[in-house]
Amino acid sequence: MTVFSLVIINKAGGLIYNRTFHEGGLNKLSTNDYLVLAGTFHGVHAITARLNPVKSAPERPLSNTPGVPGGILTRPEPPSGLEVLESENFRLQCFNTLTGVKFLLFTDTTQTNVDVIIRRIYELYSDYVMKNPFYQLEMPIRCDMFDRKLLSHIREINNR
Amino acid sequence: MVIYSFYIFDRHTECIYSKTWLPPPSAATTSQHDIPTNNSTSGAGSANSTDPHHNPMRSARSAVSAANKASDDAKLIFGTVFSLRNMVRKLGGEDDAFISYRTAQYKLHYYETASNLRFVMLTDTGTLSMRNVMHQIYINLWCEYVVKNPLSPVEHKGGAGVRNELFELGLNQFITGLIAR
Repeated sequence: MTVFSLVIINKAGGLIYNRTFHEGGLNKLSTNDYLVLAGTFHGVHAITARLNPVKSAPERPLSNTPGVPGGILTRPEPPSGLEVLESENFRLQCFNTLTGVKFLLFTDTTQTNVDVIIRRIYELYSDYVMKNPFYQLEMPIRCDMFDRKLLSHIREINNR
Repeated sequence: MVIYSFYIFDRHTECIYSKTWLPPPSAATTSQHDIPTNNSTSGAGSANSTDPHHNPMRSARSAVSAANKASDDAKLIFGTVFSLRNMVRKLGGEDDAFISYRTAQYKLHYYETASNLRFVMLTDTGTLSMRNVMHQIYINLWCEYVVKNPLSPVEHKGGAGVRNELFELGLNQFITGLIAR
């Protein structure tokens, strides 16, 4: 049960945060490769949302029925993009916030409760990055408090 | 278990076989559209006379657009799978292999043979790994009915040699057996 690394991608597909917690889990990449990876993933994520083979029910019948006042439409869930990716050596969980920021957490294949971990990281992000008055939106994250809190949170999980 | 579709891509990145187990979406929507119009415009004679003239054109157009959409989908799927496979190999090492990804609506399974033949299967989200299933398809159907077929070409340009009776029959039997389980 190990968390390998965390990558945060902004809504334009740019890499804004990248930290490795466990050496030896994944290959070491150059900064340039990480930027390419973030951009690629951003594009693939958009495509995976479009590939949805399940057709949602048509909305027309509801608006035609006289019983419904004002023709209220039941909107189907918008298609979500990639959430979990599995390979032989690792597992990648992606959390897409409502504002379009993506949190990618790389763990080993046996790690459980990854969605809980990633939500906690999102909380830390909103507390220590978004509430930091010196942080500029869409820019790389350089916040000491966020680094420290994140590191202690992940260390706790990796030492369990 | 629900299986939505199945694709085979050759080493030249071309989609040489695709099959879906979904009801055709265009037929379903047009038929649903037809029923209310026939009921509501029963009094108007002119509307009834134009309807049968209009429908074949629309269905022909929707058949063409459905074929286009299917080939577009195959290209999108190949692009996705290709990017993810490269990403996985970059991060996890050369021996690592991309297995599957899941969204809230569906799950995509991937299997690649040593000769760069790629199998892709789309199922519902609850399905467990389909790797062994695709391995079985490769061994028992692909090798038996496509590779060992003396009339089948070496390169399957445009799906030549793959769409033979035995392969189609075997695949359909295998998949319907899985779905019924």
